[in-house]
Amino acid sequence: MKGLAPLFLGIFGTFAFSWVGLTVIPNWQIGNLNPQSDEEGTDIYPMPQSGMVVRGARVYAANGCIYCHSQQVRADYAGDDIERKWGDRRSAPRDYIFERPVFLGKARMGQDIANIGARAPVEGENVAAGSAASPAASPAPQAGAPAPSVAPSGVSPTPPPPNAASPAPPASSTTSPPAGSPAASPAASPGSPPPRAPGAPAPKPPLASPPPSAIANATPGAATSALSGTPAAGAPWPIQTSGEPPMYSAAWQHVHLYSPRSINPDSNMPSYRFLYQTRRISDARSADALKLTGSDAPPEGWEIVPTFDANCLVAYLMSLNQSHPLKEVRSAAPAAPAQSPAAPPASPAPAK
Amino acid sequence: MNATGIPLKEPSVSAAAGDAEQLERALIDASTRVPVLMFYTSAIAWLILGTLLAGFVSFKLHMPDLFSDISFLTWGRVRPAHMNVMVYGWASMAGMGTAIWLMARLCRTVLRYPLLLVAGAGFWNLGVLLGMGGILLGDSTGYQWLEFPRYAAIILFVAYTLVASWAVLMFRFRRGEQIYITQWYLLGAFLWFPWLYAAGQLMLFVVPVQGVLQSAVGWWYANNLLFLWFGAIGLGTAYYMIPKVIGRPVYSYHLAAIGFWSYALFSSWTGMQRLVDGPFPAWMVTASIAATILTIIPVATVGLNHHMTMQGYFPLMRYSPTLRFTVFGAMSYTVFSLIGVLISLRSVARYVNFSQASIAYSHLGLYAFFTMVIFGSMYYIVPRLIGREWRYASLIKLHFWASAYGIGLMTLMLLAGGFLQGANIENPSLAFSESTETILPYLRGRSLAGILLTVSHFIFAYHFGLMLLGLGRQSTVPTFLNPVEAEGSEAHV
Repeated sequence: MKGLAPLFLGIFGTFAFSWVGLTVIPNWQIGNLNPQSDEEGTDIYPMPQSGMVVRGARVYAANGCIYCHSQQVRADYAGDDIERKWGDRRSAPRDYIFERPVFLGKARMGQDIANIGARAPVEGENVAAGSAASPAASPAPQAGAPAPSVAPSGVSPTPPPPNAASPAPPASSTTSPPAGSPAASPAASPGSPPPRAPGAPAPKPPLASPPPSAIANATPGAATSALSGTPAAGAPWPIQTSGEPPMYSAAWQHVHLYSPRSINPDSNMPSYRFLYQTRRISDARSADALKLTGSDAPPEGWEIVPTFDANCLVAYLMSLNQSHPLKEVRSAAPAAPAQSPAAPPASPAPAK
Repeated sequence: MNATGIPLKEPSVSAAAGDAEQLERALIDASTRVPVLMFYTSAIAWLILGTLLAGFVSFKLHMPDLFSDISFLTWGRVRPAHMNVMVYGWASMAGMGTAIWLMARLCRTVLRYPLLLVAGAGFWNLGVLLGMGGILLGDSTGYQWLEFPRYAAIILFVAYTLVASWAVLMFRFRRGEQIYITQWYLLGAFLWFPWLYAAGQLMLFVVPVQGVLQSAVGWWYANNLLFLWFGAIGLGTAYYMIPKVIGRPVYSYHLAAIGFWSYALFSSWTGMQRLVDGPFPAWMVTASIAATILTIIPVATVGLNHHMTMQGYFPLMRYSPTLRFTVFGAMSYTVFSLIGVLISLRSVARYVNFSQASIAYSHLGLYAFFTMVIFGSMYYIVPRLIGREWRYASLIKLHFWASAYGIGLMTLMLLAGGFLQGANIENPSLAFSESTETILPYLRGRSLAGILLTVSHFIFAYHFGLMLLGLGRQSTVPTFLNPVEAEGSEAHV
């Protein structure tokens, strides 16, 4: 080849072609999506995150959760994600418009967690009904959305797990230990998942909260049994085993992060103990102390509490929720939406 | 090819002209000595560090409680640290070292402005060091392949600008009208990288694009880094080393041109296939899948070209370390691309997209292809910089076989394990944990492969250290892997 000019031009030209084609044009196409809302301009989805959730996303990035967990649900003709109950509709570009960085992920050494927050038990209703005395179960379910959705305040959307002093669990199929066993006590973080300060009462308890010690001694049984209301599809999430906080609740997330194999012996996840703090119990056990058993349990007189980063991370996890319907994606029904930019033209007719 | 004419040395032209040319080459080689050795030494230091990190990554994947109490040794930090150290520390620096030497040789001019390169290497090391530290301390950006925090990225970019401006300057001083194939690839690599890196940084951090497009930009960047940066340097090096060592011109210049332009055109469009069926406009993914399939064209032409050049000379791989490594790498390029095509097909990607098979693919490209070619080039270049020959043929052989078996085993384990893992994930009647349990034995096998690779890298680093200390053999004959006399000929000298 002679002469530099054609070489230079070719090198620039090929690359410019790819750059325009794969980044600039898509940016025109889906780079300026807005949240959707209904006619009155309410029921806006998605909503920007703030506060602890944003910080939690940074913790998520810093500790490389993305290398094992994806956050994308494929359509039912493209994979079995929906059948695995990872979501009840496919993910669409609009789901991610406020996310930065976006954690689509490329590996599933762990489960897809695009909807991990939606999987958290919504025990607001039934527990509130069952136990009026519960200090923390009372915040009304968030207005509008049946499933807890993103809370702009940055506080985790999920109503706090119940630490009902008076159990009366509605659907008690639990095998949990008897109520009130003090050793196995604190339904961890009985306040909202990210309590402002360890030991502080739940953010907005309308009733006078009992002192943290009372919370700590509340029965875990009620918490466990309150699982009933999974959002949306009412998916049959794995049955909860003994004595643990309800699956996918904030308290559960903390125990799982601290000691994954205490929850699932086959788990391959590293533990994130460095996000937790072991400290001596000063006068009363902290409300958000982790409820651990067996070899993970701290020695007598000590407790394990989440650091602020751990609380943020869990707040972030609890905020992951794509259960809100999108106009361009049909929930549950698989047809490829015409309007959706995400509908693969080459894909076969939904074949399930 | 009979055994009597093994031209393991550069073919001499005529006696007098040959001498002048040898002298000129020696002068050029001497002028590249400091910068190239600086790049190589840093690269090998990063290689060792990255290998140790890789050991952590591999073992922790099947022993999740190993060191999990220590924040900076948690798997999710060590993995990006390993990856970035290998990509930016080892592969980029080694590749630049080789590219610098090749540029000087092919421009047929002594290396000018060495300070640009020395400063570039220094800044680059600083950038990688800061970036690795940042990742381990929890400062990762969270974008795959671009995890280095911004302060490190800026330093890397400054360093790179120094190197690239040197490359352009060198081109202006070149002698001779002909631009050899290797130079196309090198010039491409040197010009593509800054654009790529700047575009990635700008679109992700400075003027971030919205939502899922970040992932699109991220994978566009990652794949183009693999192809247009490492791939281009690797192919360019192979185009130089293979004909050089066997002393025979490239089989077809036209084939090479087709290979180069189709490579530039098609491989730059890959990337989105890694996001198959994700929340994207489907045309993006489809375009990338089509481009991936079309990369068969450059693969076939390049492979054919190398094969025809080597035709009849394959027995030389018994002797020449450079040739053995380079041909292994060139063959791996074909395997890498074909596996890439296979796992990008929608019907296959459905199963393997989220499995460890992607890791196998990356390692095939970055190690089996690129790193092996670069090892080969180092075996050729370092003696010419130092004036000594490699001390032990046995160490080179050990290095080769440990690397070859190591990467082969690793690829096999991750591919087989990945396919099984993917099949189990896609079988909702199985609990999810079945899929992770299925792959555990394969991950242990991968750790075994990792041990092999670790051994090979330590051997190489030791051997390279001996060379640096001037402990190589003083000889006019390169170190052959096997005694050439065994074939009954001395005519090669």
